[in-house]
Amino acid sequence: MANKVTVIGTGNFGSTVAFILAMRGSCHEVVLRGRNLDIAKGKALDMSQAANAAREHTVVRAGAGPEDMAGSKIVVITAGAPRTPGMSRDDLLTKNAKIVKAYALEIKEHAPDAIVVVVSNPLDVMTYVAKKFTGFPRERVLGMAGILDAARMAHFIYEKLGYGAGQIRATVMGGHGDTMVPLPKFTTVAGVPIDDLLDSEEIGEIVQKTRNGGAQIVNLLGDGSAYYAPAKSTAVMVDAILKDTKQIHSCAVMLKGEYGYKDMVSGVPVMIGNDGAEQVIEMTLKTLQKTRFKNSVASVKEMVDILYKSGFFDECEKK
Amino acid sequence: MKARKVGIVGAGAVGATAAYTLSMMGTCHEIVLFDIAEGVAKGKALDIAQASYYSTQGTIITAAENASDIKDCDIVVITAGVPRKGDMTRADLLMINAKITKQVVENIKENSPDAIIICVSNPLDVMTYVTKRITGWENNRVIGLAGALDGSRMAYQIQKLTGYSANQIGSLVIGDHGENMIPLPQKVSVGDIPLTELVSKEDMQGIIERTKFGGAEIVKHLGTSGYYGPGRAIAHMVEAILNDSKAIVSCCTILNGEYGYSDVAVGVPIVLGANGVEKIIELELDDDTKEKFAISVKSIQDGINILKENNFFQGE
Repeated sequence: MANKVTVIGTGNFGSTVAFILAMRGSCHEVVLRGRNLDIAKGKALDMSQAANAAREHTVVRAGAGPEDMAGSKIVVITAGAPRTPGMSRDDLLTKNAKIVKAYALEIKEHAPDAIVVVVSNPLDVMTYVAKKFTGFPRERVLGMAGILDAARMAHFIYEKLGYGAGQIRATVMGGHGDTMVPLPKFTTVAGVPIDDLLDSEEIGEIVQKTRNGGAQIVNLLGDGSAYYAPAKSTAVMVDAILKDTKQIHSCAVMLKGEYGYKDMVSGVPVMIGNDGAEQVIEMTLKTLQKTRFKNSVASVKEMVDILYKSGFFDECEKK
Repeated sequence: MKARKVGIVGAGAVGATAAYTLSMMGTCHEIVLFDIAEGVAKGKALDIAQASYYSTQGTIITAAENASDIKDCDIVVITAGVPRKGDMTRADLLMINAKITKQVVENIKENSPDAIIICVSNPLDVMTYVTKRITGWENNRVIGLAGALDGSRMAYQIQKLTGYSANQIGSLVIGDHGENMIPLPQKVSVGDIPLTELVSKEDMQGIIERTKFGGAEIVKHLGTSGYYGPGRAIAHMVEAILNDSKAIVSCCTILNGEYGYSDVAVGVPIVLGANGVEKIIELELDDDTKEKFAISVKSIQDGINILKENNFFQGE
């Protein structure tokens, strides 16, 4: 059983994921696949050489076609049109759904045992699309959402506190979008609850900043969205799967009745191991959080329904 | 797919240090520690489990109640055996440890039939051979700790002599893990500079001698064998296998025609990956080294022959 990860998409996001994996020696082989083979080849060479400088064993190579993903333990889908300033995640919907569908079908054929990590936006809907078109069990289709949102929240907490960087454990649930549900009640700094350190107004400000965290970077960059924190968050998931760490992270997964929802993807805490999302953890939510989670799920469902109405899932339904 | 689980048989200093190192490195999800002295395994497992709070991955470590609890492991490390006392040669340990190894290996064969075994018991090369014979497994799944440790001892000698950064120093020791081991400092580099450019011939000979007696030197001071070096070297091998890193590490492996020998276990450079020994690397040896290698192999064969003469392998 080789230790192979395929990253689809050679943009900033996909490349940075591959680079982090190579720098950490997380796996033996990374296949980088994009529309432009020369770019994939160039970046793969550059990273393989960097791995040698870092004294790591990871070899990065370019994938020319779908057959190159064969034998992958994990396939990361970063492909999709980026969000540009003024564009909402929803605008990307139809365009990216088609791209993710095409790759999901390829994974189903060429890497039928892989675990799929989806990072294309709108994240929850794209995870739903990947789940439907691969037909994989829900354990094997995860969306990267909560880890990134939690990292952003942790950063804003640090900004406010001025200490504790790297020691802040934040928890964020719900959709990866404007309706994300930050959970200050489950947020600690080296074990100290955040509400012992900040007042409710300050926490409210942090929550608001977290919601706008992605958009803030889009606006600053002017051309494209963030990729360092998203790629690191993705690598955390890949490491957790490959190393079977059984760590709990918030990820987008298909719900099967947990939190009262079915056949819908949303971000919830899951235990990640060799088999993917091995367990969904149900936390006790307060009324306000329940309402927010409900709104979050509803916003994802709205987009999924748009796709259903356009006949996008027709071929899934038939089988 | 099952969890990344490592079994360690023997919770003495070497086994426990390997367990502690693995849990601090976060190499695997679960470690099971077994010892015939049950309290020792339990106490050390508890202590390490509590230390894991500060490790990166939260590795779980438990003590096995019975040998059969070493179950469904990806790797089993055998550190069981009587330790070498100050006045004991490795050969003295032969019969007693062969019997212990046999018993341990039969349990592993039954309860972790897909595992890769890392043998650490001494005399190392003979015990690795015993493990291979008793399991009947493919050669790639039975490996002995030898060069990973002796190489680190050689690198230490080079570091001490030159003062150059330890983690840039190559390590290459072949032959048996005993009196006839063959350190090859003349083949290694520091950074990218061949050691031959950095030290005199006389110094080179000193490195070889001190490496060969690296283990005995510690025994002399402690009254028992070292365990930090062995523990870390075991973790290095476990990590290479679990991460499928295809790292070249000198290890004791069963030869099947390589270097001109078969049906014997001896230390040579191998490629370590998910399948255990992925490849045996055949070094070009000069005549002098070939002669030393022949002596080394013969010393191991002598040990194996003692077991054969005592009908140890009968009834397989």
